[in-house]
Amino acid sequence: MQAYLPYVGLTSVWIVLFVIAPLGFVFYFSFLTVGPSGQIIHTFTLSNYLALFTGRYAIILLRSLLFAFITNMICLLIGYPLAYLIVEQGGKRKILLLFLVIMPSWTLYLIRLYALKTLAGSTGLINGVLLNLGLISSPLEILYTPHAVVVGLIYTWLPFMVLPIYAALDGLNPSLLEAAEDLGATPFRRFFTVTLPLTKGGIFAGTILTFIPALGDWLSPLLLGGAKVMMAGSLVEHYFIKVGNIPVGSSMASALTAVVLLIIYLSMKLGGDEALERIV
Amino acid sequence: MKSWNITSKLVRILSSLVYIFLWAPVILLIVFSFSSNKFGMKWEGFTLKWYSELFANVAVGNALRMSLTVASITIVMATLAGTSVAYGLYKYKFRGKKALRMTILLPFVMPYVVIGGAFLVFFTRAIHIPLGYPSIIIAHITFSTPLAVFVMLGRMQRIDWTLEEASADLGANVPTTWRKVTLPLLVPGIIACIALIFPWSFDDFIITYFVAGPGSTTLPLYVFSQLRYGASPVINTIGTIFVALPLIGILLTNFFQKKEVT
Repeated sequence: MQAYLPYVGLTSVWIVLFVIAPLGFVFYFSFLTVGPSGQIIHTFTLSNYLALFTGRYAIILLRSLLFAFITNMICLLIGYPLAYLIVEQGGKRKILLLFLVIMPSWTLYLIRLYALKTLAGSTGLINGVLLNLGLISSPLEILYTPHAVVVGLIYTWLPFMVLPIYAALDGLNPSLLEAAEDLGATPFRRFFTVTLPLTKGGIFAGTILTFIPALGDWLSPLLLGGAKVMMAGSLVEHYFIKVGNIPVGSSMASALTAVVLLIIYLSMKLGGDEALERIV
Repeated sequence: MKSWNITSKLVRILSSLVYIFLWAPVILLIVFSFSSNKFGMKWEGFTLKWYSELFANVAVGNALRMSLTVASITIVMATLAGTSVAYGLYKYKFRGKKALRMTILLPFVMPYVVIGGAFLVFFTRAIHIPLGYPSIIIAHITFSTPLAVFVMLGRMQRIDWTLEEASADLGANVPTTWRKVTLPLLVPGIIACIALIFPWSFDDFIITYFVAGPGSTTLPLYVFSQLRYGASPVINTIGTIFVALPLIGILLTNFFQKKEVT
């Protein structure tokens, strides 16, 4: 017997049984349809995918991709400077400052989104303050707009961008930075030619950890977008749970899976194996 | 140099705004959990009555018990699996090693709705696992194990493995070496696993929502069922407790660390 088997064998079987097989089943079901009384008809069809790539569903799928991309970009633009500041100037408080970014994500994300929702609602604090200051005459419609959903996505997933970038910046060899400085590089040049390239693993890990969950998010569109701004996750939930049409739900889940695998592939291609290693 | 200074000032301002953005909703939640207004989003004087209502609430108690049970079993199983897989990955070279590393990550990086939907289809249509404790626990172990694997791999890279060899040279057999040398070296990693997996499992809403079936309610599922009725002070109190406990822990650790330094 191979020496490594006792260590990895059981978990490998578990992964095949509870990760690969369920995803395989979803893929299989995505080619089936349901009959009039809700039973699953086991004949091969592409109709679910045709429906998915035309009309209303296609718009929702494209919207999810767009929202996930915007979320990812804004998280990067906010998260990188924040992580940089914590590492550079945090000193002894580095860990505390990092914790203050991550900690909100330990508290039921459901409750945090709901708090955000009440804050932005028509009778919420933001509108209250603006009304009292006389800046607006009637409450702003913040909720149930695409903006609200994207803000919710950023709010939820930003910590997962900061964390791997922080780890990459913190692990940077300081003598490289000193060398750049000694050789006369300006701070900007040092940042763009040394720091940034050396932390790209963290950037791509952060991309995996924000783009993918944002793409499949269901709670942010549910609580902040309502029925007006649905995303792919809303459709998956709708067909699996509310309607019970497993083939249609499966085709959406499979499409999401395909996009996710593509993103992981691209991130690893561009960010190297480090993108994978920096994830946790 | 000057433009760099301006940039760093901008970064400072931006970062403060990010902290405000992240914390403002949470702080409001805490404040309103002490407000006597019964719709939970207006200040009408200080009260603790929502907390006493929370602790008297049977449904909350049951949901909490279920969440704690699931999280405890998940921590034990995922840490065991994660430690053993990480050891195998760290110590041995074998075919399919890279593939194993990638597939272990899958439940961690897949969108929650996909994992949840896949579990639901598989449990109800393929292997007929009853929805409730069994399905929830299997799901939680599956999505928590990747965390444990990577935490333990990180720990193993920092260990002095010659100690293990020394133990073998001195005549200890494999189980004794594990018990007396390897395991004690891994303890910090195991503690990190517990600290990470507990909130990971305890907070999970989406996957649990898919596989819970009727009649099983974890704490996040309970909160979700209550959100339908709009803002409520009881939800504010639950949120406050979730923020307060880890925050107190961190502040205390930080405080004592500072004392040690001075």
